[in-house]
Amino acid sequence: MIKSLDPRVYQIGFLGLFLLVGIGARDWSLQPMVVATAIIGCAVNQLIAKSIFQPKENPLPSLQSSLITSLGLALLLRTNHPTTMLLAATVAIWSKFLFRWDDKHFFNPANIGIVAVVTLTGDAWVSPGQWGEDWLYFLMFLAAGSLVLKKVGRWDTSVAFLASYAAMEAARSIYLGWTWDVWAHKMMSGSLLMFALFMVTDPRSIPNARSARLVWSVVIAGATFILRNYYYVPSAVFYALFIMSPLTLILDAIWSAPKFSWEKLRPFTFNKTKLEA
Amino acid sequence: MKNLFNLICKPLISILLALVLILSNVAEANAFCGFYVGGADAKLFNEASQVIIAHKDNKTILTMANDFQGAVKDFALVVPIPVAIKREQVNIGSTEIIKKLDTFSQPRLVEYNDPNPCEPPRHVFESSGRFSGAIPPPAPALSKPRSSLGVTIEDQFKVKEFEILILSAKESDGLETWLRTNGYQIPKGASEVLKPYIRQKMKFFVAKIDLKEFKKAGQTTLRPLQIAYQSPKFMLPIRLGMLNAKGDQDLVAYILSPKGQVEVANYRTVKVPTGQEIPEFVKEDFGKFYKTTFQRSYEKENKKVAFLEYAWDVSNCDPCSTTPPDSDELKKAGVFWQEGGDRTFITRLHVRYSRNKFAEDLVFQETSNQDNFQGRYVMNHPFRGTMTCSAANQYRQQVSKRQEKEVQNLSQLTGWSAADLRKRVKPLIAANPIKKVNDQPFWPWAKP
Repeated sequence: MIKSLDPRVYQIGFLGLFLLVGIGARDWSLQPMVVATAIIGCAVNQLIAKSIFQPKENPLPSLQSSLITSLGLALLLRTNHPTTMLLAATVAIWSKFLFRWDDKHFFNPANIGIVAVVTLTGDAWVSPGQWGEDWLYFLMFLAAGSLVLKKVGRWDTSVAFLASYAAMEAARSIYLGWTWDVWAHKMMSGSLLMFALFMVTDPRSIPNARSARLVWSVVIAGATFILRNYYYVPSAVFYALFIMSPLTLILDAIWSAPKFSWEKLRPFTFNKTKLEA
Repeated sequence: MKNLFNLICKPLISILLALVLILSNVAEANAFCGFYVGGADAKLFNEASQVIIAHKDNKTILTMANDFQGAVKDFALVVPIPVAIKREQVNIGSTEIIKKLDTFSQPRLVEYNDPNPCEPPRHVFESSGRFSGAIPPPAPALSKPRSSLGVTIEDQFKVKEFEILILSAKESDGLETWLRTNGYQIPKGASEVLKPYIRQKMKFFVAKIDLKEFKKAGQTTLRPLQIAYQSPKFMLPIRLGMLNAKGDQDLVAYILSPKGQVEVANYRTVKVPTGQEIPEFVKEDFGKFYKTTFQRSYEKENKKVAFLEYAWDVSNCDPCSTTPPDSDELKKAGVFWQEGGDRTFITRLHVRYSRNKFAEDLVFQETSNQDNFQGRYVMNHPFRGTMTCSAANQYRQQVSKRQEKEVQNLSQLTGWSAADLRKRVKPLIAANPIKKVNDQPFWPWAKP
């Protein structure tokens, strides 16, 4: 029974847990109305968009995806007003239906929602320091992330992103003459790890073939590195992912592989995907 | 799939919504701010560095209080800055404005006086006032460029009693040697810390004192230096300061922004404990209480967070520890956006750092967060006058319970023993002998 559970259920469970941990143990002061708006806003938008674009399909299973998006928004996006969160939720959900190519959306919904309201409204921000750099949280993300990624077969993306980003930061540390604790401090950031495990790995919007995903991860790591260290953008990861998202289409055209589908995903298909890639 | 959704997602949503409701109750609890009694200013913390950072878009005006303890002739200040600056970008800051912002934003003790439970309630009001000051005029510049040991003097000038050099360097060893041979007493091991700044192509703002000017100006203490620059780098270098630190160092930064709260992007920003009701006797030494509370929070957070002590629009406060800074004072603090009609939001961050816990310099980020926050502790004075009504007994019981809760709170915040604290509490019953003994039943619980 447990084996056949949709990986999205795990993801919802973990993201919900992180939200509780953030509020309970990490001193986050989230407005309850804003969190509720994210959850309800995403669900309602999902139902409306689904009824317009895919009227023949049962919209209920897709609410799991919308819940993942809303939890992602609640975890990452900070705002003074629920209306800003509603806008983020709307952009996030509709991006899945509007920015499509060959029946695949190429923006990570939560990411595009965040970037849209942070740049357009002046009423939203992301707190990259919100998790701190504790081992405990590092391990919590790693354990939860590995479980979900093993199920969807996208661990390669996380590893490639983290490894290439770590290498670039290490090279810069050596060049600048920083002691290794500076590098360790950067790499231990809970926000970076959460991004690497839960956002950059969204199987629906990232390239399908493994080689393409590896290239894609390294490109995003490079963009993050440049934005953070040379343009001094504290939440560089989100902008890097946003800018590089359309690259998915080109990479998919170069390396072809079957599209990811939550519904078709079962333990056996997972093994097959691995072999094909 | 539908069943699965019912099984997993619905309970999760209910948990989240339940949490939402709990949180909303907590948020409503703090509605009144009480009367200001006293505060814990930055002076409490030995060797606390204080800076004011006024920041909008890519422009920063940094005011550095000079807390230098030794002889004035030995004073030397080396600050890495993102870009080279000219004479007109350096100014003498005002010590008063740093004091003012410190007092305005310090953690505070507020008090409430219980009304006589035997009389109907009445209302109380607070008043506020403002005062203004003058901006110090700039001094003439002096320029003599030269270069040796890979060190280039980008600019050299005098600002009142300060002799300023703007340096760029190719090698950190060269810079260290140059500074030593030119009479700047910099700590050993500086070159290792200077290297990353040189490689990032940062410049160095170097200041020492012209003793003649210092004496002529009749100064007894060092005045703050104020520098203005344009750069997307919104950070504060703290690593150089660690070199001559004996242990943990305190930094209090008053960050002014037209947008809203400022937070640290590469460390957690944590609010200091606030809103707790604490016993009346804390008034006797509020400073000691806050110092202990801060230290305890610092240890609890593993010594690697920045503490938020205050965040508020500067135009108002509640309760006010002093009058809000007026436009002249804000100008002195470096606020340069007032003419455009923008508001000013102040964030007071208190960072206690040491070499092994703060590897990286502090990187800040402006947010549009408009939430007000203050480190505020509440003291309740029971009504100690004569009470002659039946409500008095119930009131005395309430006070006794409240006093016990206050002791618990204080013990939790400071780690002091609750038993010792209890001895210092002035119970209400002793001060108020019950007048109508006959009104009290012998066996209250036996009543129907």
